[in-house]
Amino acid sequence: MSDGQRSGEDDPARASEGAVLLVEGLVRRFGDLTAVDGVGLRIEAGQTYGLLGPNGAGKTTTISMIAGLLPADAGTISVLGRPMGPREVEVKHHIGLVPQDLAIYPELTARENLAFFGRLQGMRGRQLIERIDEVLDLIALSDRADDATKDYSGGMKRRLNIAVGLIHRPALLILDEPTVGVDPQSRNAILRSVEALSGEGMAVLYTTHYMEEAARLCDRIGIIDSGRIRAEGTRSELITLIGGVDTIRLTGAGPVEESAEALRLLEAVDKVGVEGRCLTLTVHDAPTTVAQVVTTAARTGLALDEVEIVRPDLESVFLHLTGKALRD
Amino acid sequence: MRPVLVIAGVELRRLQRDRSNYFFVLVLPLLLVLVIGAQFSDDSNGRVAVAGGESTLRENLVRALRADDVEVTVASPQTVREKVARGRADVGIIVSPQAARAFATQGDLEFTLIPGVRSDSPALLHRARSVLSRLTVQSGQLAALTDRGMSREAARSALADAAQSLRRPTLEVVDVDESAQEFSGLGQFDVGARGQTLLFVFVTALSGASALIRTRRLGVLSRTLTAPVSARQVFAGQALGRFAVATFQAVYIVLLTAVLFGADWGSPGPVLLVLLLFSAVAAGTSLLIGTVADSDTVASGLGIGLGLVLAALGGGMIPLELFGSTLRSVAHLTPHAWAYDALAQIRGHGAGVLDVLPELAVLAVMALALLSLGTWTLRRSTARGL
Repeated sequence: MSDGQRSGEDDPARASEGAVLLVEGLVRRFGDLTAVDGVGLRIEAGQTYGLLGPNGAGKTTTISMIAGLLPADAGTISVLGRPMGPREVEVKHHIGLVPQDLAIYPELTARENLAFFGRLQGMRGRQLIERIDEVLDLIALSDRADDATKDYSGGMKRRLNIAVGLIHRPALLILDEPTVGVDPQSRNAILRSVEALSGEGMAVLYTTHYMEEAARLCDRIGIIDSGRIRAEGTRSELITLIGGVDTIRLTGAGPVEESAEALRLLEAVDKVGVEGRCLTLTVHDAPTTVAQVVTTAARTGLALDEVEIVRPDLESVFLHLTGKALRD
Repeated sequence: MRPVLVIAGVELRRLQRDRSNYFFVLVLPLLLVLVIGAQFSDDSNGRVAVAGGESTLRENLVRALRADDVEVTVASPQTVREKVARGRADVGIIVSPQAARAFATQGDLEFTLIPGVRSDSPALLHRARSVLSRLTVQSGQLAALTDRGMSREAARSALADAAQSLRRPTLEVVDVDESAQEFSGLGQFDVGARGQTLLFVFVTALSGASALIRTRRLGVLSRTLTAPVSARQVFAGQALGRFAVATFQAVYIVLLTAVLFGADWGSPGPVLLVLLLFSAVAAGTSLLIGTVADSDTVASGLGIGLGLVLAALGGGMIPLELFGSTLRSVAHLTPHAWAYDALAQIRGHGAGVLDVLPELAVLAVMALALLSLGTWTLRRSTARGL
């Protein structure tokens, strides 16, 4: 079979066509522990891919291999169609890594830190100076650019940490839990920057254990646990995986057990659980069911204090897939 | 090569940014060279403080002492007593107004001499006595000639001619003490400058070990590995940074002690070669400590401790010439002793590169071994930290 006749799956060049990052069957072992077990993912330009999982799920090991810091025991990584690994120096020009640690020199200023990493990327002269100014504007640190970073707030350091990853305009930006320990204001600023970068066509690989961030930023999400991708897709695709089940919680005074019996008879209700004064109902479409539920409960004499609708989210998906919560 | 220089450059900048280094790197070494230099006697034949009002006798006395290479200060009688009591002068001479008048009229002279406490004060006292005696004899000779009808100018001229025609005896002083022979011809600051250079080059380089630990712990080292540079370049940059810091310290002390204190180091080429190799040894040791120590506090303590012990053992604090033969053999387990020997030969015996080749070879082997080991451990600890 000639090259032109190969299927996309057999031909790495075609499989990676259009992909900024293509990872297939990635494995990394530390002794007896398999930290990453057959991870695969694909990110295209302008796409943000979220790797969502709890601490110890294998997120950082995965991105360490993608960034060329760790060799993989098995599997392939290609960036813009070129193989990537610790010895592949030239491909690193296309990758910007923002590690979870604040990997900047505290004795140096923001400008000096950016200049250092820019020079390592081969930038120099006017091109470097102009790019440093651009990046400082992007992270809103221009007015503190010449202060030593040890005097910065945690949020400012986080922003600079991101800026270092952007200095050389990489095609792929990898952010490893960039909002850990950050105040809400800085967190919001970081998320806005990531949205802007994605909007400019940068491919972003974003690891987090905050489902709200994954939900807000990511076009596609991979749910990772114990080194394996358990599920992958858009947010709504993932929610569909657990059947789109909603929850209605009723809290009130009166004949709780009697109300539960009456509610179980409703066609829209799947399950009813009772815990003290609280009834938890599993339904298929809460917004259209809630009126009928409230009327039935009232008819049985239950005086309602509170009605709450809980719609499925990525947390529920994670719980459904792994049997544990994201923050475990 | 460029990434290596970029990484080394940032290490130098970090050293410059840490203001606590200003004192330890720039001020303290020179201060210690100054203090140690003050312990060695200078080229003068002692210090004499002279008191007394302005008079021909005082002027002649000061001039005659200075002609004998004696350092002379003129002060009030009270100050002279204080200077001698506090060791700021080795001998005090008080010229009373009566003595000044008696000198002018060839009367009987009476001086007050105050001996100091230093071991060479008696010799200087004797020198002062002989100068005073020479002055009174000259005064008597002048009076005798003028009494016989010669004019003062003619008498002075005749005495000067007579003094010039005298054949002064030539004295050769031979010292049988080996240590004294080793130090013979050295300037006041030469030994101190040599020892302090070796001490501070090592201590300053080792203080870079804690900076390396911070670089590792912050994740900056890992991050540099994600740039389009090879691991070899990153580790070479770290080693070069430490080497540059050590070399800066060496060149700084050598230049400043030469300019400020007139320390004589000998031929610059061989001196530079010795210091470059010694700096490479220090850089390798710094890399090694920076990777085997767990925290920057441990590295800092270990660096200073090791720096001081090696310097004490290797001639950085007490000159190697004063060591017994056994201790001197032990001292040569340290790079300091090899560098000290080489620098001593270059300064004391005008040695060139070929003359100190064995010392240079030992330093080169030590540098190669420590840099290789340091780079290997750094690579290993970085891989473990990922």
